Amino acid sequence: MRPELKEYNLDWLFASTFNVSKHLCNATPKELKSMFKYIPYVRGLLEPLLATGKPAMTFLDFFGDYYTEITNAKKNGKKVVMTTFCFDPSIFYAVDNVVPVTLEIGTALTSMLWKRGSTDFMDYCTEIGFSETGCSSQRGAMGAYLAGLGADIDLVALNMGGVCDTNSNAYAFAAQYLNVPYYGLDYPANLTSEDVQEYHHKDYRALIRFLEENTGCKFDIDRLREVLEEKRKQDDLMNELEEMQRLVPNPVPGIYHIMIYAGRFIFSGKKKYTRMLGEMVEIVRKNAEEGRSGLKKGIEKNRTFLLYIDNYALGISMVEWFEKKGISHMGSILSRTFTETAPYTTGIPGTTYRIDTTTLDTMIDTMADINARMPMTRTIRGPYDAPNMWLEDSISLAKIYNADCCIYNGTPGCRNTWSNIKLLTRDLEALGFPTHIAYADSFDSRVEAWETTETRLDEFYKIRGLL
Amino acid sequence: MKNVFQEAATTLDIPSVQEWKKKDRKVVGYTCSFMPVEPFYAAGILPLRLRGINATSMEIADSYYGPFVCSFPKALLQVAGTGKYGFLDGVVLSNGCDTLRRLDDCWRKMGQDIKGSLPPWFHYLDVPHKPDGHAFDWYVNQIKKMMAAIEKQFDVTITQEKLYHAIKEQNRVRSLLWELEKLRRKDELKVTGSEAYTAIIAGTVMPRDIYAGHLSDLIEDIQNRTVDVAANRKRLFLSGSVCDDFDLIHLIEQSNAIVAGENLCFGVRNDEDIVSETGDPVAALAAKYLSGSVCPRMMGWYQARSARLMNRIKNINVDGVILQNIRFCDLHGSENGLFERDLEKNRLPSLRIEREYGPLTESGRLRMRVDAFIEQLSSGNQTR
Repeated sequence: MRPELKEYNLDWLFASTFNVSKHLCNATPKELKSMFKYIPYVRGLLEPLLATGKPAMTFLDFFGDYYTEITNAKKNGKKVVMTTFCFDPSIFYAVDNVVPVTLEIGTALTSMLWKRGSTDFMDYCTEIGFSETGCSSQRGAMGAYLAGLGADIDLVALNMGGVCDTNSNAYAFAAQYLNVPYYGLDYPANLTSEDVQEYHHKDYRALIRFLEENTGCKFDIDRLREVLEEKRKQDDLMNELEEMQRLVPNPVPGIYHIMIYAGRFIFSGKKKYTRMLGEMVEIVRKNAEEGRSGLKKGIEKNRTFLLYIDNYALGISMVEWFEKKGISHMGSILSRTFTETAPYTTGIPGTTYRIDTTTLDTMIDTMADINARMPMTRTIRGPYDAPNMWLEDSISLAKIYNADCCIYNGTPGCRNTWSNIKLLTRDLEALGFPTHIAYADSFDSRVEAWETTETRLDEFYKIRGLL
Repeated sequence: MKNVFQEAATTLDIPSVQEWKKKDRKVVGYTCSFMPVEPFYAAGILPLRLRGINATSMEIADSYYGPFVCSFPKALLQVAGTGKYGFLDGVVLSNGCDTLRRLDDCWRKMGQDIKGSLPPWFHYLDVPHKPDGHAFDWYVNQIKKMMAAIEKQFDVTITQEKLYHAIKEQNRVRSLLWELEKLRRKDELKVTGSEAYTAIIAGTVMPRDIYAGHLSDLIEDIQNRTVDVAANRKRLFLSGSVCDDFDLIHLIEQSNAIVAGENLCFGVRNDEDIVSETGDPVAALAAKYLSGSVCPRMMGWYQARSARLMNRIKNINVDGVILQNIRFCDLHGSENGLFERDLEKNRLPSLRIEREYGPLTESGRLRMRVDAFIEQLSSGNQTR
């Protein structure tokens, strides 16, 4: 590992970056131009982010809060729980003494903000014994925490068992390496049967017991209700954005997708996240009223649906490339909530979740149901062509958003999707959706340089006559 | 009996299986050690562990699987695609790992393209990733569902008596395997790893009663031997990803070494590795098959697993441990990393290697690494 990386605490670095960056929202264009000279890599994210205006300020603000909380956790007598992006963190915000740290967010941030991303941290994981073929989304930030360059982790809790081996395996490795308690929610292949629902609920209750035993936390019914009610507001706002996304041209800026899911993965149930969503809705409503595309140039030439995740190499290169080409980003697997009120869940009751704050029991069941319907835990758990799984979800979303084509982009560490993406692509092509498989790694540009990914994308759009 | 085992371990056209089929009896394939075989025997069906041996290319499998996945499920698909599993009356797939559970998706898709490659019956056994509480109950229910599906598909009845009998008979095989393991733990070793492991693999594909007879004979034969095959050779233990091909062990033993034990999805691990013959038989099966959380797919159970394995390795009294994983098998790949650290703490030398499943195309590289490890052990720098 490069010595300079050992000089700083990762959480402190992020906290400092965001706490300073949020003030740039008040800067003049001239000041910004001067500033960008000095932050050539951070600029890759910051410049397009700041261009979104108000939502950017809130986004930077709560990211600053998030990492400040982690940095000060021990000082404030709080336990730090390592968790994954598909685990809804709102449960942690219903107690006083727990702070979540989400590895994939840290990995994505380093990929977007640093010249060499988190490759040193990834390689550190390999040096200490972790499989080099494991998913890069965890390996990045995980390396920092295992090397003692981030917050001291007190426990590990996540929800990818049965959905993504590489994910849960990485967290199991971390727990063992750090010698801290581990709890993984486990998911059967089915989503909707009664016995599966019961399994979800029992498993989540066991998780609550695990949290109580290992952190001494006490769940306050009123606080949990408050968090869930906040979450309901957030879902409603996301639904409104999703609904407006059906318009042609799509009035939602592509970068919003990343901001929305990144926020959800760390700040679900928190008021500042609600505020950002509200600010986005206001802007998108105006775009919609004026018939304006969310693209900066205002001209939509193509609508692309991402079957999996975005690419986080060198800023937000893929989103920026879409901007350049006039391609509307129609969201990815990470964008959707699968609440029963979402526009795309009409007609598929039972596969969604309902926020029920009547009693403590209904709230715990709600949390279990939400976790079982987080982007990946819902969509890529069972056979890809089973009801309500990856194929059906992709087709219905691509149709509802009137997508012209689809792109798969992920990481070579994803055994799950690399085991059936060829099947999915074949089916989508047969249904008339040109589909491109990118071989890049969203978090590690050593696998494929962004320039190569870009060339291949360019080729795909040209050859298929999509632009 | 050596030839019987070798034939069963190295080919897919196994005479005893052909004989079984000639009597109009059914054969059902399966892919993972967490699939209980007893209900099949209770139904008069031969459970046959699927192997990807003899797959010399991956051109069919590569049409369905992507490039970044383990070669074991790919080899299974390839073999199935070439029609070599055409004799199967059904297949039970389970979630041993992500790639293995996606064999369900890929095989069904292949069935649309290659006529006859899809067996007449497919069942998915949903095995939990934890052994206790609600997960245990879930698994019990899964076994019951599988039994009901067997009864419906094959028009048979699995009575409690038949299930008890199947448990008892399978325990008899386990007891024999434990006898074999005990023989391999003796200071004077009278059986090579290749021979023993060939016999262990054969047990996953041969009809149980025929197998038990041959295994019993082999044990008796070993007991009567006088040559110590481990004399002046290093005793090693092999652990990690699935390995149903004794070529890897043979390669290791071509160096100055003997494989005295393995932890590779097959065989028994200790004298408690049996199904209880009292109480509810389905619960007893669930307890046995989930016990010890023997595979890294059971995440969060490393400590219990490694303690058992360490104990076993010490009992076998080996000079070193080879930890291997198939490329892209992250479960074993990272667990090997943890176990390597713990072996070091226990002053047990280890070698960590990554390989491909199937024909040993990289035998030169592997041989060189094993040779170097043996040399290291022989130099005296590494002591137990």
